[in-house]
Amino acid sequence: MEHWLELARGPLFAFTFLVMGLGLARHVLLQVHGLVTRKGQRLRQAPWRRIASSTLSWAVPVGHLDRSTLVMTTASFLFHIGAVVVPVFLAAHVALWSGFLGVSLPALGEGAADLLTALTIVCVLVLVAYRLMTPRARALTRASDYGVLGLVLVPFLSGFLAAHPTLNPLPWSWMMLLHILSAELLLLAIPFTKLAHVVLFPFDRLSEVHWQLRPGAGDRVAAALYGEEAHV
Amino acid sequence: MATEVLQQDAQAPARAATLYHIENPEVENKAERFLNAFAAVLHFTDYKALLDSYCASSAKCGRCVASCQVYQVSRDPRDIPCYRSNLLLDVYRRHFTVGGWLKAHIGGGWSLTDALVDEMADIFYRCTACRRCTLECPLGIDHGLITRLGRYILSMAGIAPKALQVSVREQLEGETRNTSKLPEPALVDTLEFLAEEMAESLGVKLEFPLDQPDRDYGFFCAVSDYLMEPDTLMGNAAVLYAAGDWDRWTIGSRNFDAINYGLFYSDWHLERIIKRLVGEAKRLRAGTLLIGECGHASRSACQFVPVFAGQDELPVKSFIEYTLECIEDERIHLDPDIVTEKVTYHDPCNIARSGWIVEQPRRILRSFVKDFVEMTPHGRTNYCCGGGGGLVSMDETHEWRMKVAGRVKAEQIRATEAEIVVAPCANCKKQLKELVDYHELPCRVMGLHDLVLRAIDIPGGKSARQRQDEAALAATA
Repeated sequence: MEHWLELARGPLFAFTFLVMGLGLARHVLLQVHGLVTRKGQRLRQAPWRRIASSTLSWAVPVGHLDRSTLVMTTASFLFHIGAVVVPVFLAAHVALWSGFLGVSLPALGEGAADLLTALTIVCVLVLVAYRLMTPRARALTRASDYGVLGLVLVPFLSGFLAAHPTLNPLPWSWMMLLHILSAELLLLAIPFTKLAHVVLFPFDRLSEVHWQLRPGAGDRVAAALYGEEAHV
Repeated sequence: MATEVLQQDAQAPARAATLYHIENPEVENKAERFLNAFAAVLHFTDYKALLDSYCASSAKCGRCVASCQVYQVSRDPRDIPCYRSNLLLDVYRRHFTVGGWLKAHIGGGWSLTDALVDEMADIFYRCTACRRCTLECPLGIDHGLITRLGRYILSMAGIAPKALQVSVREQLEGETRNTSKLPEPALVDTLEFLAEEMAESLGVKLEFPLDQPDRDYGFFCAVSDYLMEPDTLMGNAAVLYAAGDWDRWTIGSRNFDAINYGLFYSDWHLERIIKRLVGEAKRLRAGTLLIGECGHASRSACQFVPVFAGQDELPVKSFIEYTLECIEDERIHLDPDIVTEKVTYHDPCNIARSGWIVEQPRRILRSFVKDFVEMTPHGRTNYCCGGGGGLVSMDETHEWRMKVAGRVKAEQIRATEAEIVVAPCANCKKQLKELVDYHELPCRVMGLHDLVLRAIDIPGGKSARQRQDEAALAATA
């Protein structure tokens, strides 16, 4: 068993981390390349200040709360805190980072880690319930949306159970293996699912840049479809 | 799944009736034409990066529904902004990404059908393009931009609302070069009529400047103002006259229509119309484009002259900004005792959503209106009149605009108990007037400068008080 754990924690983790890193880098490079080569000078004309302020307004979305979206927005906000803080700053993970990347990060206290993990799990369940129970969310939700929530839930749940022997129904090493493998599956999924928003969200917010349309493109599209003498 | 639902729906012929009439409904091979148009658009424009980003990260959280006034009334899942965007994103994923191709060939996925194109045409024109949902998307996905892109691709595939298409054709390729087919002699007549009206009511003799070269301002308004909104135009003219700028502006006879339906459905038309506008200003050697009271015309000029004009770029100013400057520089005086009614202000989405023109009209109104009341919400987060995105020009959508798209606005206006609703936009005014009739709201709809016209003191002519006394006398007589 220890071998399996070592394999999962060592080479397998390195591999999944690399795939995630390369996959996300590809997204970012394609976006930057598209913007620089296609938009060029027009990037300067975009309302950058407005883009920045609207992006920042979502960092703590108190200005975006209203009754009909209160539960969903709150759950989502708290979820994002747990989903970023726990994987990076949990004491056991900090040790892992230091061995793996050579960086030493401050570690979360045990109580804070437990609280954040439990909160994250509850938030995922709330988000699942939201998708199941509100007609508007049901209309939008596809199987993959539940799949992504499941992918996030398992590592948090298994990590929590592994850290709490009294609650853990499985042998510790099994639970830990499940934890590591499910976390690695999540890392692998990030660039290939909507989780890619971890790096793409700033680019999603650039619609004002994309309103800076390409001069002459309209004529070229019309000519390509209907010839040079295209009429309205 | 959205697409699967649609595919099932599309087989039930009794369901949705198309809300508007396209010019050539017998278009064949719609799916093929749509995909060809999509491919050409992707090849020559810059939309690809944005589509890639949206496709890879759209979370489909459903927050946008809270902001959509169409969905709030219809409760139809097809009216959820994110659902609508995902229709187009699904076609992009399936037909223009490697992942979509693989999925279709390995997993036996779907392909675009004519019925789906019809559904998109229907759904993309059930949106007023107000972009309120964009403010509520945590990722900032611009559903207005995606809907517009969908409409653009449809139009390049030969599917576009007749009302918009016919107007744009006349503007770009017709003899009159404007959307209302107003011939030049009729414009000259209208200007003479307006001058007579102003001489009588304001007590000043003036001639409207037509084709005067080298003026500071080239004036362009929605051509419908010349036909249907004489008070708005006279209000504009009265400000220019009272401010002492009568020798600084001109109207161009070869192009006097600021309407740009391209903003609603086609990059091609948008650019060509902007170039026409800039071309006329250049012919007259005008210093600044001064755009009359119209939301979409102001936005298209302000936002797209810098994009499309190239070396001919010139500054763009909204008439609202100009009037506020005149008030703050004390070049005009508005009598605060004339307008006694309760007044509210409707923010046209195209100038308010970005935060561009929100405070200016309020400062103008507060300077002379005693009883001003706000709608809730207002400003950047206002609700659309329900006729945006070109829908108000399509008569076929009237019932839907009244019962569905404009319902929230009607309730909002009723709640203010205002007697006058000010809306500085040709499209909003038309929709709001229809709403007031349909919902029997106890108020009148007018332009900002219609109200300014009532209160403005004319140096060398009649003061606002004088005109009011004369009108009272005439009424008793």
